[in-house]
Amino acid sequence: MNLKELYQEIILEHGKNPRNLRKTENFNKDAKGNNPLCGDNVHVYLKLNNQRKVEDISFEGSGCAISMASASIMTDLIKGKSDNEAKEIIDDFLGMIKENPELKSSILEEDDKTKLMCLSGVKQYPMRVKCATLSWHTLISAMEDDGKQVSTED
Amino acid sequence: MNIDNIKKEFPIFDEKIQNNDLVYLDSANSSQKPKVVIDRINEFYTKEFSNVGRSIHYLAVAATNLYENTRSSVQKYINAKDKNEIVFTKGATEALNLVANTLGQKYLNEGDEILLTELEHHSNYVPWHYLRKSKNIKINFAEINEDGEIPIENIEKKITPKTKVIAINHLSNVTGAILPIKEITELAHAKDIIVVVDGCQGAPHLKLDVQDLGCDFYAISCHKMYGPTGLGILYGKKKWLEELPPYQGGGGMIKEVKKDRITYGDLPNKYEAGTMATAQVIAFDKSIKFLESIGIDNIIKHEKELIEYGQEILKKNNSVKLIGNPKNKGGVISFTIEGVHPHDIATILDEDGVAIRAGHHCCQILHDKLEIPASARASVGVYNTKSDFDQLNESINKCKKIFDLK
Ligand SMILES: Cc1ncc(COP(=O)(O)O)c(C=O)c1O
Repeated sequence: MNLKELYQEIILEHGKNPRNLRKTENFNKDAKGNNPLCGDNVHVYLKLNNQRKVEDISFEGSGCAISMASASIMTDLIKGKSDNEAKEIIDDFLGMIKENPELKSSILEEDDKTKLMCLSGVKQYPMRVKCATLSWHTLISAMEDDGKQVSTED
Repeated sequence: MNIDNIKKEFPIFDEKIQNNDLVYLDSANSSQKPKVVIDRINEFYTKEFSNVGRSIHYLAVAATNLYENTRSSVQKYINAKDKNEIVFTKGATEALNLVANTLGQKYLNEGDEILLTELEHHSNYVPWHYLRKSKNIKINFAEINEDGEIPIENIEKKITPKTKVIAINHLSNVTGAILPIKEITELAHAKDIIVVVDGCQGAPHLKLDVQDLGCDFYAISCHKMYGPTGLGILYGKKKWLEELPPYQGGGGMIKEVKKDRITYGDLPNKYEAGTMATAQVIAFDKSIKFLESIGIDNIIKHEKELIEYGQEILKKNNSVKLIGNPKNKGGVISFTIEGVHPHDIATILDEDGVAIRAGHHCCQILHDKLEIPASARASVGVYNTKSDFDQLNESINKCKKIFDLK
């Protein structure tokens, strides 16, 4: 176990000053997610334009440093991507957290990968994995816009 | 038994937890188990095992006697009038579900009201919520004051002519407030209102005398009382347990089963359908004996000193904000740290072997009221010492350092 790996500078900084913590005006897709175990909750808003590009993405909610940083980094990376690119990035990130040693997607710049890999520290803390993945699952739900509320506990 | 070195009765404290000595501050969630209880379970399975109440062979009779013996010990420990007022359940949660369900079946009608408090654990809210759905029953909440207590006036204010049941916590698992159960019961009974007490936190830490409290039902969680998991107790006044219908159906709870009719067994079998948590019940007798050997007065004194010490030390820590300030308080300290989420606190403390709880502790109503999503909670048991709070404080300072707080 290594606290330093979990609470890296970038995580603490994003946790303290989350980017895109607001509500997108004229959003056309959104979803809510919560983790009943700890009370973390997140609401993701998306604005997809006619070319199916993410014109804006934002989130509201409260949670631990890990969950806030994860949502912050996620929204930063997804903005400007097409919905297919976004899906690839999401799969890549969730795959990395689950089992893969690194990120594979060619859409991601090295810099982006470094940022996302900062979240890999949670792999050593099984109880905290959900904190890192909640906003991502919620984003999937928003893109599918199936009206379901994401919950990390079924 | 001397409480000052009681820790050595608990084998877990001989273990290294991730290379640390264990600082266990999560007893409100579940307590650790003394060796006598662990050994008793082993011994029963090794040398004495049989199911109870069914067969007539030697082992079955002996096991049945042991099982019933725990019932008598519990009766004495909580000073119930009758042995048959003690019903074993799978936990306090099941005990509360049993009460809500059977009162719902027979006693409550559409439009009736149930009064809870904002301090209730989900176990003492969700079962009543079912009646809101199935029987159109209304639920009201008595409010906390700014110290996180429920003064009796706040209960009185919410009683209406339709109030049929008051279901309340004995000791809050978040603020530690001890509710004036006896006074509330007197008030309620004067208006023919049933009083159900969630005694999960009361039973391990307070002197229990259900006849003195006067309540109609009292739910106990054995795993918080230095006993095994999978076991709870419902105390219910005999007249209610006799009058109310059974909760679950199955073997052991019947008198006669015919194709066209079934009659039910007498107390306490009526509420103990199926094979019960036999080994746990039998081992729980050792938990009671363990508590008796220390003496509840000594336990109360010890835990009071710990909590006063813990509060004092945390109050001096300028980033820590304590939740609630009840005058009459049990062994629970909940807190937040400005700028550090409780989940992060718990992870960082865990690295030092300090086990606390973070989250809403199954009290979302209370956390909503306090306008915080979660809190951190340190709770004590007989084995804690002041040095546990010193370590807690030191680890909190480590959190502050990681999060760059002053
Ligand atoms: C106040 C309170 N009520 C009810 C419960 C549930 O008890 P059990 O685990 O025995 O079902 C708990 C324990 O989590 C509690 O603290």
